[in-house]
Amino acid sequence: MDALDKLTILADAAKYDVSCSSSGSDRKAVKGMLGNAAPPGICHSFSEDGRCISLLKILFTNKCIYDCAYCVNRASNGDMPRAEFTPDEVVAITINFYRRNYIEGLFLSSGVVKNPNHTMELLVDVVKKLREVERFNGYIHLKGIPGADQRLIDRAGRYVDRMSINIELPTTQSLRLLAPEKSRSEMIAPMGYIKEQIAEYKALSKRFQNTPSFVPAGQSTQLIVGATQEVDLKIIKISEALYNRMALKRVYYSAYVPVGKTEIATPNQLNLLRREHRIYQADWLLRFYGFKADEILTREEPNLDMEVDPKCQWALRNMHLFPMEINRVPFEALLRIPGIGNVTARRIMASRRFGPLNFDSLIKMGVVMKRAKYFITCSGQVFGGIDLEPMKLKQQLIDAPKSQTSQMSMFELYPGQFSGGGASYGLSV
Amino acid sequence: MVYLYDGTFEGVLSGIYVMFHQKCPVDAARLMHKDRYQYGIFDEVVLVETQVEEAGKVASSIIETFGQEAFRRIGYAYLSEDEAFGTILFKCLKRAYKLGGMAFENLSDPDILALYKCFNAVARESHRMLGLLRFMELEKGVYYAPFDPTYDLLGLMVPHFTERLNDQVWVIHDIKRRKAAFYNGHEVHFGELDPLDTMSLSAREHDYQKMWQGYFEHIAIDARKNPKLHRQMMPKKYWKYLVEKLH
Repeated sequence: MDALDKLTILADAAKYDVSCSSSGSDRKAVKGMLGNAAPPGICHSFSEDGRCISLLKILFTNKCIYDCAYCVNRASNGDMPRAEFTPDEVVAITINFYRRNYIEGLFLSSGVVKNPNHTMELLVDVVKKLREVERFNGYIHLKGIPGADQRLIDRAGRYVDRMSINIELPTTQSLRLLAPEKSRSEMIAPMGYIKEQIAEYKALSKRFQNTPSFVPAGQSTQLIVGATQEVDLKIIKISEALYNRMALKRVYYSAYVPVGKTEIATPNQLNLLRREHRIYQADWLLRFYGFKADEILTREEPNLDMEVDPKCQWALRNMHLFPMEINRVPFEALLRIPGIGNVTARRIMASRRFGPLNFDSLIKMGVVMKRAKYFITCSGQVFGGIDLEPMKLKQQLIDAPKSQTSQMSMFELYPGQFSGGGASYGLSV
Repeated sequence: MVYLYDGTFEGVLSGIYVMFHQKCPVDAARLMHKDRYQYGIFDEVVLVETQVEEAGKVASSIIETFGQEAFRRIGYAYLSEDEAFGTILFKCLKRAYKLGGMAFENLSDPDILALYKCFNAVARESHRMLGLLRFMELEKGVYYAPFDPTYDLLGLMVPHFTERLNDQVWVIHDIKRRKAAFYNGHEVHFGELDPLDTMSLSAREHDYQKMWQGYFEHIAIDARKNPKLHRQMMPKKYWKYLVEKLH
C-alpha cells in the first residue's frame, strides 16, 4: 500500500473529528526553521461539506482495539479498510504539504494499536521528528490517547501547540453504555495534568527567559451530541465547567453520524445538525458574550429552541430588560441584544462617542435589524410599528427557512423508512 | 474640478496635498487616476505632479493625527484599485480632520465608512489568499505560486511568506498584473514577469499534488455535502490555481 492509499483511508477515518482550528499559538518565525503560527489561524481550503481545512487532519492508524459504538473505526466494524502510517511517512507528507502552502500544520490522532502507551509513543515519535529533525515550526495539534502514561503526555506537550483529549460523551452513564472500555477518569486525569503543566510552564517563563513551551495554544476536547439522551442544559453545563475548571480553549460538538451498522437508534439527522448548530451558538454565548449556562437555559426550559437562536430564546424569556437604548447602555448590555455581535457592539461603542447614532447608521455598522428592532430604541425611537408581546414576537423572529430546508423531501424527514439503514441521507444543511 | 494623479500611492497623496492647499470644496472636486479618467466636456482638469516630499508630508500628518492604523487602512484601500479611490480618500480626510484624532473609528459617517469598505475588501481577500496561495515545486527546488487576485495583493503576501517559508526559494506571480516577488532564501525582489509558457516540475511534485487531491476528496463528509456553502467559502474565481479543484 503506497502513501496515497494510506492517506485517503486515514483521512476518511479522521474526518468526523470536528476541530480544525489552528488559532491561538504565536509561534514566531525563526531563520532557518520552516514555518510559524499565526494567532488568528488561516483556512487553506474548504472541503465540499463547507468546512474549513486548516490542518492536515489524519489518523496515524485506524486499527483499533476498542469497540466504541459511535465510532467508525471500532474493532467490530469489519467492512472498514485499515491502514497504518510509519512516522516518516507522516513527517514527509506534513513537510511537503506545508511547503506548498496546502496546510497550516498537522492534526494527528490515532486509533489504539496494541495498547495506549505503544500508540502514544508512535505519536510522540512523529512530533519529535518534525520538530527536531525537520526543524518544523508550524502548528501541531496532537490527540492525547486516554490511558497513556503521564510521562508520554509530558514529552508530547513540549513539542505540540495544542493537545486534546476527547471526553466523547456527556455523562459517565452514556460512556458506560457506548464505550465500555474507556473510563471517564482516564480522560479527565490527563486533562487536569495538562492544565497544571501549562500553568507551571507559564509561571516559569515569567522568571526564566528560556523556558520551553508546553501546549501554548491550550487544550480542547470534543463530545458527541445526539447518540445519547442528555438535554442541552446538561451539555452546556459540562462545557461551562470545562472552560472554567479545566481552562479549556474550545469544546467541539459533533452531531452523531450513524457509521455503518450499529445498534444505536438513528435519530433524525436534520434536527441533529440544527441542534449541533444551536449548541455552538450557545457555546459562543458562554465564551464571548458573558452568558452563564444557567441563563441560556433553565430547568423549566432545558433544551435549545430549534426555531430561534439561543440569544433570542434568552431575550424572549427576559423581555423586562428590553428595549435597550442603543446610545446609552454599556458594552456588556449591547452584547446581549439579539442581532448585535461582538464586532458590531465594538463599532457602536466607538462611533457613539461622536454623537447619537440613528437606525440608518446602525444598519451600516452591521446590526441585523430583522432581529434587533424588537429589542432596541435609538434616541428613544422604536423602529417602525412593532409588537412586543413575546408569543407574537417569536413568530417574527423564527429563522426564515433556507432554500435547502425548504427542499426537504420525504426521504429526509423519515430517513429510517427510506434509506435502508445506510449512513447517507444526501443531506446538506 | 477634476484632479488627475499618475496612479501611484505617492501620486494620490500629492493630489491630496494640492487639493487641501487649494481649499477644494468637498462636494465639487474629484481625484482620479489619469489613465482611467474619461474626459467630460465641462470638466476643469488639473494634472497633479507627483512630489515625493509633499506626499511624505501628507503621510506624516495622517499618522500624527489619526495614528499608524489609519494610515495602514489608507494603504490597503489604495490597493483596492477602486476607480473612485482618490475621491473617497479626499472626502474621508476632509471629514476626518473635522472630527479629530479618533475619526477613523466613526463608521457611522458615510465618508469614513466608504474608505473603510475599500480597506476591508482588500484586507479580507488578502487574509483569504494567505491560505489559498499554492506553491508548486519546479526543477532545481524553486517553489512557484501563480495567482490572480481581485485586488493588488502581491506586496501584502510577501511579509507572511518571507517569514513562514524563509528557508525556501520561491516566486509569487500575479498573472493579471504581470509582476512577481522573487525570494532567494535571504531577500525579496519585485519585478515584471509575463505568464510562463512552460514549467518543468520537480520529480515528486506530481505525487504530492495527487496526495493533496486525494486528501481533499476524502476529508469531506459525504452525508453533509453542501456545494453552495462550499462555493460561498471558496468562490469559484479562485479555483483556477487551486490544486485540489483541478482534476
